[in-house]
Amino acid sequence: MTRKDFLTFISSFDLSCKKLHNLFDFFDQDAFSFDVVFDKEFIDIVGKENINKIQQNANENYLNKYKEKLFDKSIKLVSFEDNSYPKKLRNIYDPPFFLFCKGDLALFDDNSIAIIGTRMPSNYGKIVTERFAKELSVAGIVIISGLAYGVDSISHRQCLLSGGKTIAVLGGGFDKIYPSEHTDLAREVSEKGLLITEFSPSFVATKYSFPLRNRIVAGLSDGVLITEAGSKSGTIITKDFALDNGIKIYAVPGNITSPKSEGTNYIIAYSQGQCVLSPNDILQDFGIKKSSYKKSLQLSIDEQIILNLLEDGEKNVEFLFEKAKMEVNKLNSLLVSLEIRGIIKKMAGDVYSTI
Amino acid sequence: MLTKVKSFGLLGIDGFLVEVESDTINGLPKFDVVGLGDTTVKEAKERIRFAIINSGFNYPQKKITINLAPADIKKEGANYDLAMAIGLLGASENSIQSALLFERNKDIVFIGELSLDGGVKKVKGVLPILISARKLGFKKFVIPKDNLAEAGFISGVEVFGVSSLKETIDFILGRKNLLPVEVKDYQSVVSTVNDGLDFCFVKGQAKAKRALEIAAAGGHNVIMIGPPGSGKSMLAKCFPSILPDMTFEEALEVTKIHSIAGELDYKKGIVSSRPFRTPHHTSSTVSLTGGGTFSKPGEISLAHNGVLYLDEFPEYSRHTIETLRQPLEDGVITVARSALTVTYPASFMLIASMNPCPCGNFGSKDRECKCTPHQIHKYLAKISGPILDRIDIHIEVDNVKFDDLRSDLQEESSETIKQRVDKARQIQIKRFSNFKNYCNAKMSVPATKKYCKLSQDCENLLRMAFEKLKLSARAHDRILKVARTIADLAGEENILPEHIAEAISFRSLDRKYL
Repeated sequence: MTRKDFLTFISSFDLSCKKLHNLFDFFDQDAFSFDVVFDKEFIDIVGKENINKIQQNANENYLNKYKEKLFDKSIKLVSFEDNSYPKKLRNIYDPPFFLFCKGDLALFDDNSIAIIGTRMPSNYGKIVTERFAKELSVAGIVIISGLAYGVDSISHRQCLLSGGKTIAVLGGGFDKIYPSEHTDLAREVSEKGLLITEFSPSFVATKYSFPLRNRIVAGLSDGVLITEAGSKSGTIITKDFALDNGIKIYAVPGNITSPKSEGTNYIIAYSQGQCVLSPNDILQDFGIKKSSYKKSLQLSIDEQIILNLLEDGEKNVEFLFEKAKMEVNKLNSLLVSLEIRGIIKKMAGDVYSTI
Repeated sequence: MLTKVKSFGLLGIDGFLVEVESDTINGLPKFDVVGLGDTTVKEAKERIRFAIINSGFNYPQKKITINLAPADIKKEGANYDLAMAIGLLGASENSIQSALLFERNKDIVFIGELSLDGGVKKVKGVLPILISARKLGFKKFVIPKDNLAEAGFISGVEVFGVSSLKETIDFILGRKNLLPVEVKDYQSVVSTVNDGLDFCFVKGQAKAKRALEIAAAGGHNVIMIGPPGSGKSMLAKCFPSILPDMTFEEALEVTKIHSIAGELDYKKGIVSSRPFRTPHHTSSTVSLTGGGTFSKPGEISLAHNGVLYLDEFPEYSRHTIETLRQPLEDGVITVARSALTVTYPASFMLIASMNPCPCGNFGSKDRECKCTPHQIHKYLAKISGPILDRIDIHIEVDNVKFDDLRSDLQEESSETIKQRVDKARQIQIKRFSNFKNYCNAKMSVPATKKYCKLSQDCENLLRMAFEKLKLSARAHDRILKVARTIADLAGEENILPEHIAEAISFRSLDRKYL
């Protein structure tokens, strides 16, 4: 059996990456036989808790079935020893040994930014996330995130909508996407971008696998943008990881009264990251020229009235009706047409805001 | 001596002829009722025995058998008491026997429940019986006096009200003259539901009111989403006040159902305003759909031609909500039980209301939602796609500001809105003149194609909306129908882009709500 086949075989057992690194540093030969799993050194490195499963399955049949499964689901296995392994990831502490990938592997080495944040963003958080995801992806930067609820999924969706490239890192295996509501989104990402995980397909996400996922999100990217985050969340774990590994952090300031912005405001206040006010602040760091975003919009007088009302933040339809002083049917149709043209956005509760 | 007396029973919302055959022979005194009667029918013999004695007649000390023909249809209720007592008296007293055979009395239909003192009490379902019997050619009816009001809207028949068994016998024997009930004019009693609820008392909520106006104009089903205390129930309760008045045919249909269910106002005799039913969310499925051991129309049938308001929609059991699918589509509910299958009309407008999440505050401007995204997903998923498919208009309602509540600004009254609704309905009646009770919401797929032609501008707008707003495919026809109604309200012959745009604004649940 070739070394590659043996690597594939081992990848199905979800050993910790520390063990995997030790294992393949020690067994550095090119050819393997299944008997190696009975070696004393092998058992010592792998540990008692895993060894039974490996020994029981150490046969040709199991390997072939597993390879077939990967092939059927068009999953590409990238190991630490491959050339296609992302270079940025090699530099972090504790890099994953295996990456299961679906999609375009070339995205690994592109300019990229991770956009992360709370799972329950406020309307402000949603707007900010959409704005940054849109403009950064239009500028050609790969958006990386974790496919979770909230900021993560908004970034992915907005990026795909703007025709950009995105990488989603899962906290579990490919068989069962978590959260299940994002199964469709995951498929779209794998078709138009790249979906990766360090866990074998049958691995079910656990409480502990998500923080591990976060280190890959940060490790793969050239910078981490936090749009909205509370003081205690997975986002903060990612931030700390990025800090420890010298990855640049960007944070969007929020209301000091809003608990959902405590995390980002803390980062800014204690200079852990750069305060960004517009996507251009980030684009400058990537050496990309300021995009000429301000479109000249053709607006009717009534449309201008609505936009003026929305200037200082989101408003609900009742407020607009009261202030715009126009017929309710006219207001309804104007709001929809402005939304279709991508000038404003509707949120839950019939609340509108400019994009 | 054998006698045959006519009576009527109920099957679904129609009456069927029951011939009460009575005979006596010499033998040990015994009283048998055959012909598949339920317990109420079986117990009638005790009521009849004492009613006869207490009315001053002789109770035959013989073996008595009464047969209710046809013998294979289940008979429920106390409708047959009066006919049975008269038949029994006829079988034993010669004068009554001959009077019953007399031309004048031969085809009288007797309906009524007896009390022990010989009085005749009101029964359920008189109106549907009268209508069915008239179809079969019966012209003369003796019914309880308390039910007379119901008979007041049926022309072409003679209906006499009696208050006791004695009075009935006197009438048959020609000793007492009764006057048939006078036919009243429906227009004199027609009324709009008001109960003091009027849209002028609802402050703010312009968009929700507009949506309800459209719903009333086109007969569209509505779902309202909003935090607790935002006025969803208030809006729904005011809704009947802007619905168009019922036509006589509609009113008769509704009265029939209410009469069977025993929910009729016996003084008034007809349901002249659109029903508004609000079953609680703990209601059982059967209480909503109807049927059960004593077949009875359920809440959705009682809401026929009116409004069914389901507050806290996701709190109803999933099974209950799903049973609404057939009636929402066909306008009838067919309940099959082992004994019989009945069909009740159930063509109602559904108004549902719900909170956006378990805690209720998601999307609210003032209060923070404490639910996780998963909880919200789960909560919204309680309303299944097929049900959502049948609801045309989604309204998001938020809390009204304190200033609005205190403002003296005069809001539009229901009367004014109703005038616009009536106008739009007239256009629809003209358009669908070949169909019965037709409105935009009930357009079939071919009708939608025919009457909702779109200009190129509209097509473009719709396509853009689907791409940009990620509407689900099911929204397409709904938007067309609502746009048709909006155009009717505006008095436009063709659907314009602004109508399409407004219709799209009422499809928020089709979009990614989170």
